[in-house]
Amino acid sequence: MSWLAAIRTATGGIRRHTVQAVVLGTVLLISTASALLGLTLLAASNAPFQHAFEARHGADLTVTVNTTHATANQLAATRTLPGVTGAAGPFTEATVQVSFDGHSLGPRVLAGRASPGGPVDDVVLSEGHWPDGPGQLVLDAGPGGGPDYPGLGDTVTVSGTEATSTLVVTGFAISITKTADGWVTPAEATRLPVAGTVASAQLLYRFATAATDDQVHADATEIARALPAGAVVGTSSWLAREQAAAGNAALVQPFVVGFALLGLAMSVLVTGNMVAGAVVAQYHRIGILKSVGLSPAQVAVVYLSRIGWPSLAGSLAGVLAGNLLAVPVLHDSSGIYGIGRQQVPWWVSLAALAGMLVLTVLAAAGPALGAGRLSAVQAIAAGRAPTVGRGYAAHRLAARLRLPRPVGIGLAAPFARPARTLVTLASITVGATAVIFAVGLNLALSRVEQSQTLSATAPVRVQKTDPRAVPSAAQNAAVTAALDAQPGTLRDVAVYGGPQTVTVPGMSKAVTAHVFGGNASWLGYALINGRWYGSPGEVDANTAFLADSGLVVGDTTTVDLVGTGTAPTTVRIVGEVFDPSNNPSMFTGSQTLPGLTTPANLEGYDIALRPGTDTTAYLRSVNQALGGHGPWLAGPPQANRFFETATALVDLLALMVAVAAGLGVLNTVLMTTRDKVHDLGIFKALGMRPGQLLTMVVCQVAGPAIVAAAIAAPAAVALTTATVQAMGDAARTAVPTSFSHVLSPATLALLSLAPLAIAAAGALLPASWAAHVRPATALRAE
Amino acid sequence: MTQQVVAGEVIRFDGVTKAYQTGAPPALTEVNMAVTGGEAVAVMGPSGSGKSTLLNLLTGLDRPSAGTVTVAGRRIDALSEGALARFRARHVGIIFQFFNLLDDLTVRDNVLLPAQLAGASRRRARERAEELLERMGIQQYRDTYPARLSGGQRQRVAIARALVNSPELLVADEPTGALDTATGQQITAVLRELSDRGQTLVLVTHDPAMAQRLATRTVQIVDGRMVGAGAAVPAPARATGRAGGDA
Repeated sequence: MSWLAAIRTATGGIRRHTVQAVVLGTVLLISTASALLGLTLLAASNAPFQHAFEARHGADLTVTVNTTHATANQLAATRTLPGVTGAAGPFTEATVQVSFDGHSLGPRVLAGRASPGGPVDDVVLSEGHWPDGPGQLVLDAGPGGGPDYPGLGDTVTVSGTEATSTLVVTGFAISITKTADGWVTPAEATRLPVAGTVASAQLLYRFATAATDDQVHADATEIARALPAGAVVGTSSWLAREQAAAGNAALVQPFVVGFALLGLAMSVLVTGNMVAGAVVAQYHRIGILKSVGLSPAQVAVVYLSRIGWPSLAGSLAGVLAGNLLAVPVLHDSSGIYGIGRQQVPWWVSLAALAGMLVLTVLAAAGPALGAGRLSAVQAIAAGRAPTVGRGYAAHRLAARLRLPRPVGIGLAAPFARPARTLVTLASITVGATAVIFAVGLNLALSRVEQSQTLSATAPVRVQKTDPRAVPSAAQNAAVTAALDAQPGTLRDVAVYGGPQTVTVPGMSKAVTAHVFGGNASWLGYALINGRWYGSPGEVDANTAFLADSGLVVGDTTTVDLVGTGTAPTTVRIVGEVFDPSNNPSMFTGSQTLPGLTTPANLEGYDIALRPGTDTTAYLRSVNQALGGHGPWLAGPPQANRFFETATALVDLLALMVAVAAGLGVLNTVLMTTRDKVHDLGIFKALGMRPGQLLTMVVCQVAGPAIVAAAIAAPAAVALTTATVQAMGDAARTAVPTSFSHVLSPATLALLSLAPLAIAAAGALLPASWAAHVRPATALRAE
Repeated sequence: MTQQVVAGEVIRFDGVTKAYQTGAPPALTEVNMAVTGGEAVAVMGPSGSGKSTLLNLLTGLDRPSAGTVTVAGRRIDALSEGALARFRARHVGIIFQFFNLLDDLTVRDNVLLPAQLAGASRRRARERAEELLERMGIQQYRDTYPARLSGGQRQRVAIARALVNSPELLVADEPTGALDTATGQQITAVLRELSDRGQTLVLVTHDPAMAQRLATRTVQIVDGRMVGAGAAVPAPARATGRAGGDA
């Protein structure tokens, strides 16, 4: 037989075995998509900020200038200073108060830019359109928004401006170096500044050397020196932005990499199993081809063709599907990294395609070579049934158990194909681990978020509309009166302090103090160890404080109140608070640091509501009582979009791995069912009912599912604990045990049903097919 | 189509047609046939004539395209798959040419399986299986796997399995087709003994000699149509006594 004829034989075979070709193609599709996603996530989590910074020509330095002190020519001259490799601006800049739907978004820096692009700080428009007329605003789309953040088309109020009082949100964009919180047209920007404030503009620079704080500082000094004295009113380094982005990236990296590896493992498992199984299933046909004269080499060509074409088609479709699936995943991850947009690198598509095809060839090569060495008769015999003797003991044991016979036969069946059973077991285990891991991670993230926002214990917060404002005693008293008058108020506490309000001997940084005007234990700050302060002279500190000071819980130290002239206060650290930040913080009561409880240091009030109180109505009522134009505004705690996006990403990734696991089970059950289709005919001929048959086939995966549950539950707990610890390490903080041990025995028991659900979902389709196949048809099958 | 089941009839085919593909010639055309209790009917015909199709229809393994099939007083062509399975378990025993034993079950478990599927009590099923293994002369192989048995022994296991639920109808599809002559004769003797005891038997065979030894009546099928239905088999082979009773 000629080579061409051999290939024609193979192609004809594919047409006659459409189901197998479709299943093979589908498995390759899913596996390739899964592998592509895994590789994409790994690539996306590799220095995302640095890559985006280069791609978007991020600004090494943002300089805010007083335009009344420097002429346009003087500003333009800075573009050609030695060391400057790129510059943009000046863009008119204004700091304004923005509020939406009654909630203050706080002070925001708005810049006037005609377009998002440019030689420096190429802003990425992620949604909507760039402002092209008056009253339009593009808002920053980076993390830090929250559920109360305005959406596309919403109108925000810009208070305290000369002319425009409202702006319509026409889009969202991300500046890799966050040069502004929002952008308007240049003409709009000139109308925004409040009367009497300096006219300012921002200039964006890239330098030949700006890798360190010292280098950026030297660059900034050079710019300031080139301009008239007093022209430079502020600078912002890209390194500060990089540090924040790196923090988020480091936080998500542990679980993103975890899921990526699970997805890759799953794709390799499923593909290897499917391809090897498909080859073995063809032994009978190989034997026939050899018996009619095909040489071993021709058999190999036939084989690779039969496996290769569906695999190639499936893999190509998988690359397409993977690229489509990557869109929402990368949208989430880029949101977390704050870098605007991420794409599937071209090499990832190529690597996923090539990798899957190589894996297919490798998986097929072993059995195919084995088939080539077999005689025609041996190949025909080997293709008919599993090795005689395997699983007999299990069947004998199952027959002795007082189980319904279909259940017993189903439970014993996996022992006939141990290799295939192991792959099924691995697939279910990986999928179930991903599901339980995702639930654990979501619970952990939820606890971290609650500890950061205190949203569960203090759903209302009264804050200043302008952080720099110092309300009068009467205005502060009005807040207390308004809160006391609300029937929904359960309890409230005043919070004093602020950044760099306290110094501690031996510490390199000033400390942010949080001083509570009353009992604050109900706020529920998470404690890593120790306890919440209870008596005068006791304080709690965050990990950064302890790391910087070298102190530990139980130690005593002295604190100085900056600028108060009061004598140092001796305090004892009684607990370590979970407050992931590089900045040292301490928490205590007003009796310990009375010098800080001044109107100037009053930051706000945290309020707990009585059960059943409608938060929105409560906020409206309090704000009405406060008059609406005062320095205080009640609102919900500012949500952190990082947690929202991270949770969505975890869910998406877990779903994908679980679906891949279900398909892996479907694949193995389908192969087993098709292998045993003749036996199914016998069972039916002997009186096995469709329901019994369905039970029998589903029970084939029940055993592996139970074992998978026993493995997946502890594995997922260990993975959750390790990931949360790794995230804590990335955030340079220890983690309370309650964050890493989030899965209670009852929850874990419930989640242990996940493997059974995955197995049942995967097995149901082939089981239904088996249950409804005509016995006469099944008995005719070889 | 109307049907009238005559007392004592175990099988009745009324105008049964089976076509596998639209437009293709039917495998069976307008078959009318009745088998009364205790009869041993041989269905004969050349390859592709429709014998196996007829067997599939009367055991409920397949459904007719037209006509009605009544077995043991029930119209099985209208039953659901679940009801058909129950029907097969209780009323029909099937013996296949290639035995169709389940390789991973022991001889005893193979024989027990139909009883277990039919919901028989564990004790009664085991007693019945032991009785049949002994009757077939294979009790010493009860814990052996089919792969270790000879063809004749496997077919005896298959016969025991077919009888475990004491079916009203025993159907055998070329039961000696995969056996050597001597073993085939032994199996024929076993079936003959069952028939002599009053077991209703439908036998599909190519072998005229076997039909002559076993059948009380022969049905010929050619190109899906019955030819000479009800023709009596020459008497000598069936001359000796019929014990009747259970099978």
